[in-house]
Amino acid sequence: MTDLLLLLPVLIITSGAILLMLLAAFENVRDEIACFGAMVIFLFGFCMQLFGLGQGDARIFSGVFNEMLVGNSFTAVAGLIITACGFFTCLSSHTYFKQNRFITSEYYALTAFAASGMMLLTMAQELITAFISLEIMSLAIYVLVGMHRRNIKATEAVLKYLMLGAFAGGFFAMGSALMYGGTGSTKFAEIAGFISANGFFASSILVVGAFFILVALLFKIAAFPFHAWVVDVYDGAAMPVTGFMATALKTAVFAVFANFLILDGGLQASWVEYLFYIAVFTMFGGNLIAIGQNSLKRMLAASGIVHSGYLLIALVAFTSRDFTANVIVFYLAAYAVATMGMFAALSYLSGEDEQRITFDDFRGLAKVRPFSAAAISIFLLSMAGIPPTVGFMGKFYIIVNAINAGQVLLAVLAIVSSVISMWYYLRLIITMYFHEARDDFAVAKSPLAQATTFFLVFCVFALSLLPVSV
Amino acid sequence: MFEHILSVMIFLPLLVGVALLILPVSKNGVRILGLAVAVVVLVCGLKVYADYSGGGGLEFVEKLNWIEGLGISYHVGVDGISLFVLMAAAVLFPMVFMLFTAKSKAYYCNLLIALGAMVGAIAAADLVVFYIFWEIMLLPIFFIIGLYGGENRIAATIKITIYTIAGSLCMLAALVYVAVAHHTQTGVWSFEIARMASLELQGGFAVAAFVGMMLAFGIKIPLFPLHTWLPEAYTEAPYSTTFILSAIMAKIGVYGVIRLVVPVFEVEMARYAIILAYCGVIGLMYCGIAAIAQKDFKRMLAFSSASHMGIIALGIFCMNVQALTGTLFQIVAHATSTGILFLFLGILEERTETRHIDDLGGVAYKAPVFATFFAIAMLASCGLPGTSGFIGEFLIILGAVKFNMVIAVLAGTSVVIGVCYMLWLFQRVFFEEANSKTANFKDLSAYETLVFLPVIILILVMGIYPQPFIAKIEPAAQKHILQMATQDNPQLAERLDESGLLKLTND
Repeated sequence: MTDLLLLLPVLIITSGAILLMLLAAFENVRDEIACFGAMVIFLFGFCMQLFGLGQGDARIFSGVFNEMLVGNSFTAVAGLIITACGFFTCLSSHTYFKQNRFITSEYYALTAFAASGMMLLTMAQELITAFISLEIMSLAIYVLVGMHRRNIKATEAVLKYLMLGAFAGGFFAMGSALMYGGTGSTKFAEIAGFISANGFFASSILVVGAFFILVALLFKIAAFPFHAWVVDVYDGAAMPVTGFMATALKTAVFAVFANFLILDGGLQASWVEYLFYIAVFTMFGGNLIAIGQNSLKRMLAASGIVHSGYLLIALVAFTSRDFTANVIVFYLAAYAVATMGMFAALSYLSGEDEQRITFDDFRGLAKVRPFSAAAISIFLLSMAGIPPTVGFMGKFYIIVNAINAGQVLLAVLAIVSSVISMWYYLRLIITMYFHEARDDFAVAKSPLAQATTFFLVFCVFALSLLPVSV
Repeated sequence: MFEHILSVMIFLPLLVGVALLILPVSKNGVRILGLAVAVVVLVCGLKVYADYSGGGGLEFVEKLNWIEGLGISYHVGVDGISLFVLMAAAVLFPMVFMLFTAKSKAYYCNLLIALGAMVGAIAAADLVVFYIFWEIMLLPIFFIIGLYGGENRIAATIKITIYTIAGSLCMLAALVYVAVAHHTQTGVWSFEIARMASLELQGGFAVAAFVGMMLAFGIKIPLFPLHTWLPEAYTEAPYSTTFILSAIMAKIGVYGVIRLVVPVFEVEMARYAIILAYCGVIGLMYCGIAAIAQKDFKRMLAFSSASHMGIIALGIFCMNVQALTGTLFQIVAHATSTGILFLFLGILEERTETRHIDDLGGVAYKAPVFATFFAIAMLASCGLPGTSGFIGEFLIILGAVKFNMVIAVLAGTSVVIGVCYMLWLFQRVFFEEANSKTANFKDLSAYETLVFLPVIILILVMGIYPQPFIAKIEPAAQKHILQMATQDNPQLAERLDESGLLKLTND
């Protein structure tokens, strides 16, 4: 029964996706119906995931699935973030596609497919399952990125993402094969057991395999030195899709990364030295890219790289299984709330055909739309880690975790990086508040994206009060 | 209500401020409501002052578990150290609603949010709670300077924000380091400020954490050489905000050093006190000399305020009871003298539409009440005997004599610089010939006189009969120094003389 409850959200989202895909075949099913259908599916999946939250630790149907999937509070919270992101993406898409007309009904089915792949990914306990769910997710996302076929930027984005993503997938498959060759198993737990028994460098195939898998995962989370694609891809994709990628996809990949590296696998100690440098370079590289951007989407993409860096700190600084897992998942939620909010706000504020996307386009927004400007400011402050927002609590936990693990230098570097990142977050606030408006900021009639934005503002404050257990 | 009196003082302004931002209330409505809230805070503050027993420990404590796994709780309280800072905030705040009219209602809302955050930072007994309120304090200032400041407001607001946030983040790392050290040493997670005093911190990280915290507070005070944001921010901000920055927020920086740095990092403090004391004295002299050169009276007072903060900071680093008592006394004295001068200059600019000192003259003949009040506040700021400024600076210099003779002599003589620029300003603005700008200068109205009168009386009372105030401060200061010196710090305890005072002179 527990097993079923833990698996139910994935089942709901997957069958919902199939249902939406079938519905999309009918010509007289309007996009709106598909949109509301997807919302219902995501909401239902979210509620079921909530029930699964208190169910404890279980290898789901270990007899049937041969211990391929695991369900615990870590995967459940990651699942909650993913379903919630899916739900909010549908809401903002509804408004967004009132002003940008290139939608087909399959859009919502693909969102749901991507979400189901992500949820499976968070639960994956062995390499082949992880590979399959990674591909389910990626294929759906490729299509979503290139949805606007006639737009040259979207085409460029999908081409870049598809080519590089295919390489990453190839790396992952090759790495899995080598791992299997080295350890005789594809299960995280057994790989960990092999490493702790024989040492990491006992088998050179294992080292190469692990390296390949890390490359693939680092690519997916846009960590240095595999981060270059993210700016162009985010820039080319539609606003809600970018939001979905930035939040849900990152959550899923970080969950499997954490599982593979520290929670269920045993690679952490061997790789910590390299990950340390990767975390540092990811933070500062992301900052350097973000400082130079004039487009908000590109700035947010680059700031996403920086946040990946902060999350990598939590992977490097491993204290106790529960605390580190909670810190990671809390930070993911904190980042997701603010980023989702930003993209929901941009979904309605960017106007017809995404005409407003640079910093300058948002000049004086506070004079015309004070509430929207306030909401965006709150999201930015949360990303910058200023109290009393959830972003601050996330960063606080990361720092506590890092210093507690003895990684004081990493914590200090994270703080230096935060100070640098203030520049581009403040820049938008200054543009919105301290300049005169030149635009009337006309937006579409659909109020759903606005509703999402203001609900997420509430979440920014409410989640910050949520205590994390140690 | 009385068991939650501090929470009321913190959250009433915060919530009303946010609510008024959202609700469609007229500008005057917001101003009146804001004043009402500030008066409620004042009444609560007076109640706290009256009921404060002086036992030494925290009183009016409220504690609510928040993140139990890490031992973080919503924990507030008041003791002898925080009482006077709290009172400075509560007493002076209503004035900013009474005197100037703002451009829009958001100005008053931001002021209310700043008030709540400042009270929260002063009353916090938990590191995380302190940090949260400390950071919230900055946000309204950022928006006020950016929205309502003068010509260079954007540069000024970026400067103050980046400076302060950089400092705050250093402090965040430092305080997490302290809490983690507490966990390693005792095995218990806690962020309670009082518990951190018992830690034994050693090594390079402890020094780094000490530096991190000192950076945050040094920027807020501001301590030389971290003062470079101050002239722009003080000059560009509207007068009532400059008043808050100078009279209250700078004091919270001083308070933070006394509350967080001195007890936790007693060894580092003892080792580096001399350097910090020199920073204080250099700030006192440097900003004083800079003030002489200014042609803009707001900028001049900004430097003057920074200069006097130097001597207040010096009082902490001497680490003896006299100096600490003087510092706490001077916190109120500086707020009521230099702080109030910003309000007077605001009135001066409002009526003459210039900030250029040389454009003015003869105000004293046109406005005798204004000139008298200004003179009293000015002389208190210079430290003339009979005013509050004298008592505080005298105690600090007395403490400095025990600490280090060179510093004491430098501090004592540098006070004269303050007299120079203040009297020269007074001569150029209030005496000499009246000109076209000052010919029609209106004296303070009856309403304005009533607003300022209590503060002027306070300056004189604190100067002529300081005993009741010192009686409230001294036990707390004594306890603070003793606790710091004896608690697991034999090095310092050895230097205690028979009267419980520290001898830290040249050894």
